[in-house]
Amino acid sequence: MTTLTFPLSRIEGHARVVIEVREGAVLSAHFQATELRGFEYLIKGAPAEQMPVIVPRICGVCSTAHHVAAVKALEDAYGIEPPPLALQIRELLMLGQLIQNQATSLFIFTMPDRLGVASLFQVDAASEAEAASGIAVRALQVRKAGTDLIGVAGGQFIHPVKAVIGGVTSGITPSAAAQMREQLQAALPIACELFDYYWETSVALGERLGTWGDDEPACYISAVSGLRPNFYGDAIRLVGCEGDSCALFPARHFREYLSYDDTDYSYAAKSSYQGNVLRANSLARINIVEQLGTPCADRYLKQFKATFGSPAHAILLFDLARGIELVYALERAIELLAAPLDVGPEAVPYTPRDGEGYGLVEAPRGPLIHHYRIENGLIAQAEFIIPTVHNVLAIERALRVAANRYITADSVNLELERAVGRVVRAFDPCIACATH
Amino acid sequence: MKNFAVLQLSGCAGCEVSLLNADAWIKDYRLLYMPLVVSAHDVPDVDVLLISGGVRTDEDLYKLRRAIHHAQQVVAVGTCAISGGVANLGDRDEVRALFMAHAEEHHDLPRLLPRSHPIDAIVEVDRYLPGCPPTPELFMAVLSDPDAFVAGRTVCHECGRKKLKDMRPQKLLGFQQGHVDPDICLINQGYLCIGSSTRGGCRAPCTRAGHPCVGCRGPSDAFIEKESEAWFTSIQRVFAAMTDVPEEDLTAGLRSPQMALFLFQFSDYAGGGRPARLKEKVL
Repeated sequence: MTTLTFPLSRIEGHARVVIEVREGAVLSAHFQATELRGFEYLIKGAPAEQMPVIVPRICGVCSTAHHVAAVKALEDAYGIEPPPLALQIRELLMLGQLIQNQATSLFIFTMPDRLGVASLFQVDAASEAEAASGIAVRALQVRKAGTDLIGVAGGQFIHPVKAVIGGVTSGITPSAAAQMREQLQAALPIACELFDYYWETSVALGERLGTWGDDEPACYISAVSGLRPNFYGDAIRLVGCEGDSCALFPARHFREYLSYDDTDYSYAAKSSYQGNVLRANSLARINIVEQLGTPCADRYLKQFKATFGSPAHAILLFDLARGIELVYALERAIELLAAPLDVGPEAVPYTPRDGEGYGLVEAPRGPLIHHYRIENGLIAQAEFIIPTVHNVLAIERALRVAANRYITADSVNLELERAVGRVVRAFDPCIACATH
Repeated sequence: MKNFAVLQLSGCAGCEVSLLNADAWIKDYRLLYMPLVVSAHDVPDVDVLLISGGVRTDEDLYKLRRAIHHAQQVVAVGTCAISGGVANLGDRDEVRALFMAHAEEHHDLPRLLPRSHPIDAIVEVDRYLPGCPPTPELFMAVLSDPDAFVAGRTVCHECGRKKLKDMRPQKLLGFQQGHVDPDICLINQGYLCIGSSTRGGCRAPCTRAGHPCVGCRGPSDAFIEKESEAWFTSIQRVFAAMTDVPEEDLTAGLRSPQMALFLFQFSDYAGGGRPARLKEKVL
């Protein structure tokens, strides 16, 4: 038996792929998360009200999603409805998170695969790929519009602080909102231009490979659905391989629908739905929503559905779906910032109490749930239901498909290493979150 | 053109994300290794090696020892690499056994060390860049000219909120409760803000946004070479001078193992007995 190990880069966190082969037959393809910090254990005994400060540290890439999910879980436990202003600010936080994440995944993580370089930052200005250095600067400008939006709405762009139990610490002043809006308006055409180029290079890649990543259909899971996705999240929707709706349930019922399995070869668990492979993240949302509700994003969505059908299943389409969402998040944030964001109460008063709470948001990688049990004001038990965990089975299935494509009894095609990278990056897994 | 690498140990990647926002380095530096954004299998020879994350697994330990020989200058970035960070709360006696038992159900993976370590417990560090994470401005300062970086001594000096003599709270509000006045000192309003002795240089984004400082930059120069007791005492003196909060409430707030100082400095202050970091080395 031969064991092939592929270290992974240009993803969030520490992971590797291990493929076992005997005489050309692929025996297994494992996605191994290799880090563990033990957040579910280390927050035991901590004061519940500190969760919005502590748990963003699960992940520096997804800290905004954890910050908002923590606040929502505590509000659920305390029986609080935050005021409208707080909801607007929190939606802006989630949009900033989406812009940052999709720009990072598209341009920094996966664009190098299209251009055949190791990193956007390593492109020699004198080389043929000169265009790429221009891409790096413009990509960072788009990404920065997202991180600055988190900064304006959240106080700081990594591990934000402004969402608090009951609301937010402050709104956004008219001048700060106007300035942010201008920055987003400047970023929007650049994002569209970069995405057009990304789409072209993806088509070229698909033609070179002869596939967009063939894989079996899967079930899709998301906390957004319908006509205008709100990443603040209210309920989880599951759809089947044909796009048929299977279930719609609140976060607190997740155990009735989802199974979790631990493996001994990875510090991340994997989830499934009634024995079916699940998929979360961009393609799940693009398959589930009917319309995004902003003009440019809806144009891209229409083009996507006309070209690839709905639901679409090919793996590299996750990346294209991410681009559509980048455009949507920019447009939607521009809309929201036009309304006054410093009017009305920032927060409602509350009385802490013991009990259980669930907080759901649609993070860039899919539905994220925080579940806390509070006793004497302290965390007695915590669970983090991480979007990447929904994708682990799908990642491993796609890796087996890639392995079978490039491994024969005589040889291993060197394209396999690149294929492994492309497959994993299409799912944009977050290992810091998945292991936490 | 100088070059640099970023070694990522066990952490959250927040430091790397912050570095990406300090994009001015693109003009002056070549980034040769950083798994988050560059496909390269090993740390090559570099002028500057930034190290983020704590030493949690045997793989962290191995990578750290290997990488160090390739660098002219070693910079520890972020609280995990410097003093443990939030993730080090897993080393509390009351949760360690559960945590290790969970880890031991796994095989063929990097093994957890019995406890996690800041990197200067293993290798020599030339400069420290504390923060959770350090801001992009701080990253630029450490990569360009650290000695020219100008900052307030403490977060308090950079916060800009008004301190009032006649507004003395009777009780602590904790981090989350109450309406926050946008202009008045958070201690005047009853929040357990420890910006008065936390290192400046971050420009106080949290307190400006209405959230108390939680001390992620660690102690200011006045306390960094001293025992944790000096830091505790200073904060207690500030609250005694500015509030009528009973001393026992304050002690309970500050010294419970999960609160305030311990949140980010756990491995330093939980009986580590580590030698002090020289303030000249800390940005």
